[in-house]
Amino acid sequence: MSIKNKREQVTAEHVMLVALLALSAVFLIEPIVSDYPDDARVFPQLMASVVLVGSLLLLVRNYLPEPLYTVVGESINITTSDTASEAEEELSEREKEIEAETEPKQTLAREYGYDVNDTVFMMAAATLYFFAGWAAGFLFVTPLFVYGYTTWFRVRPAIGIGLAVLSTVIVYLFIEFLILPLDQGAIFDFSPFLPVAFDPVPFVIGVL
Amino acid sequence: MIVETLIGTHRILQLEPFAEGLSIAVSWPVIGWMVVGLLLGIVLGALPGIGSPVGMAIVLPLTLPLDATSAIILLASIYSGAMFGGSIAAILINAPGTESAAATTLDGYPMAKNGLAKNALAIATTASALNGFLAAIVLVLISPVLIGVVLAFGSPEYFLLAILGISLITIVTQGSIIKGLVAGALGFMISTIGTGILSPTPRFTFGQFGLYDGISFVAALIGMFAFAEMMKLAAQTRIAESDVELTGSIKKGVMTVFKYPKTTIKAGVIGMVIGMIPGSGATTSTFVAYAEEARSSAKDGFFGEGDPRGVIAPEGANNPTVSGSLVPTLSFGIPGSGSTAVLLGGLLMHGLQPGPTLFGDQLHITYALFISLFLGNIVIVLVGLSVIPYASRITELDTDVIIPVVVVLSFIGAYTLNQNWYDVGAVLVLGVLGFYMVRYNYSVIAFVLGIVLGPIAEENFFRSLQISGGSYDIFFDPVNRPLSFALSLATLLILIGPFLKPYLERVVDRA
Repeated sequence: MSIKNKREQVTAEHVMLVALLALSAVFLIEPIVSDYPDDARVFPQLMASVVLVGSLLLLVRNYLPEPLYTVVGESINITTSDTASEAEEELSEREKEIEAETEPKQTLAREYGYDVNDTVFMMAAATLYFFAGWAAGFLFVTPLFVYGYTTWFRVRPAIGIGLAVLSTVIVYLFIEFLILPLDQGAIFDFSPFLPVAFDPVPFVIGVL
Repeated sequence: MIVETLIGTHRILQLEPFAEGLSIAVSWPVIGWMVVGLLLGIVLGALPGIGSPVGMAIVLPLTLPLDATSAIILLASIYSGAMFGGSIAAILINAPGTESAAATTLDGYPMAKNGLAKNALAIATTASALNGFLAAIVLVLISPVLIGVVLAFGSPEYFLLAILGISLITIVTQGSIIKGLVAGALGFMISTIGTGILSPTPRFTFGQFGLYDGISFVAALIGMFAFAEMMKLAAQTRIAESDVELTGSIKKGVMTVFKYPKTTIKAGVIGMVIGMIPGSGATTSTFVAYAEEARSSAKDGFFGEGDPRGVIAPEGANNPTVSGSLVPTLSFGIPGSGSTAVLLGGLLMHGLQPGPTLFGDQLHITYALFISLFLGNIVIVLVGLSVIPYASRITELDTDVIIPVVVVLSFIGAYTLNQNWYDVGAVLVLGVLGFYMVRYNYSVIAFVLGIVLGPIAEENFFRSLQISGGSYDIFFDPVNRPLSFALSLATLLILIGPFLKPYLERVVDRA
């Protein structure tokens, strides 16, 4: 088998298992390196050992001998009866039919002829929102995130603007009532602009 | 005779905490939170892809300003309401709002296609609420038995119970046992980040002060249930709008449930019993109830084509599963499903410890919760039957509108807990992990159980070792600790049993 073929066989599960292997190795080694006392060391090391051995077995399960492969790779389900399994299969077939009938979502990228995976976009947008929120404060980046997200998925602009306003008001209520510094970022502090931007909000809340 | 009976009832029901629980459950604002929770649950359950764990995970940090009883009743009401709400989308658009409503689509949607949408929705409402109502009564009646069992447990038993819970989850949920064990152990491992429980040693913090308090289990719940679910939802194609007319008769639908009392009661029993098994949840119970009804009524049934019994069975099982799953959650801290895992998180967040305390000093809170479930089912009937004419509107909400709002609430909610950016980061990282765990069939519930119960398990593990002078024999001693021995043996049998079963069957056949 060529290297290219092998590379194609690598799935996100393999990446996840390698990450778990690395993480469990850290949990095994760090207590020794930093000389943790016994009562702080044994439990995490015990659990890390289970993760390490389990992940390793799962990673190489296709190369294991038959009896061991049965233990590692095969699914066990004790609660679902045969009839229940049949019902689940029927449902799964129906879902496939519905999926085949539905059209892919309209996105900004697809309109311009690019195909960006929807989950990847959602994950990237949320990650950007997290870092921007940390740097400049959630209050100021929330409307940008919500409006940007809805625009990408071609939600009607009026709904997008409405949601952006609603989300920003929610964040503002957290600041007002739970006294959270969500208007201050770790790098940029736009909080001095807050009284100007949100002057009418306490009035509206008071009226409501 | 009458006096003896009264004394017996007093002993059985523990009337004082029961009366206190009743006064709490019907007091303001507790009853208000119950109604809010039910309405929220019905709406969240009706939105395809959202469901109770997502809704409960988002609401969880927002309950911080509430008192413990109101918070728990709010969360349990969302859970109960979502069980019914899920059936709306299942019946009208053939896309279950919650996984537990998946079995309802099998006959609910064909009924709607046959012009009986209102009947199907009324059957779902009545069966779900009626059995939920009966299950809440059973829950109150069996609680004295639970008290006795719970009080028999000590430190080694609680540690072993957490391990047994994870082992059970690994075999109850589909997937390989090793995957389940890895998920559970990973949860335990992550829970050890931060200052040590028994000695103030910072563990795996790498000099970051933000990690000294560890990763909040509430952030983990939000990440695993809310954020991961939104990632899944982002990839889904648009769900078709309802193509069925909202016709039929609500009254006839209600009467149909009473026409099949055996089906209704049987579904309730199945729901409650399966709910008590950790990890199984309403998805399993509804399919088993449906399958059992299809099997026993095969002669005159037309299942899959709109048989009303095909709606009664899953809907009659879903709400009793809520009551059933509270048994292991409240008595031993072992959640039965994703929703009860979030509920367990709520209990711990508000300083309520599952186990002896909830069935001792805080028994009134437990009873208040049971009574709220009981009252909640009356609300479900009233609300459920009156929303039927407008039910299709809830399902029309676009998921692309929901996702950004849920992401904002998830991040803000996680930050609210400790004003710690690491908790917000944990939502993101564990959300991605949860997404891939679900995709590759790793038990998310086992992981969540590990992360929620980690500190309790570690503390009991060390207490046990302190009792035994460092010897691990305390977990396997049949003479001095028979309960520990039984739990260890049960864990071992659960893990190796499924693999030994074919060999044992062969031996029996030969004999």
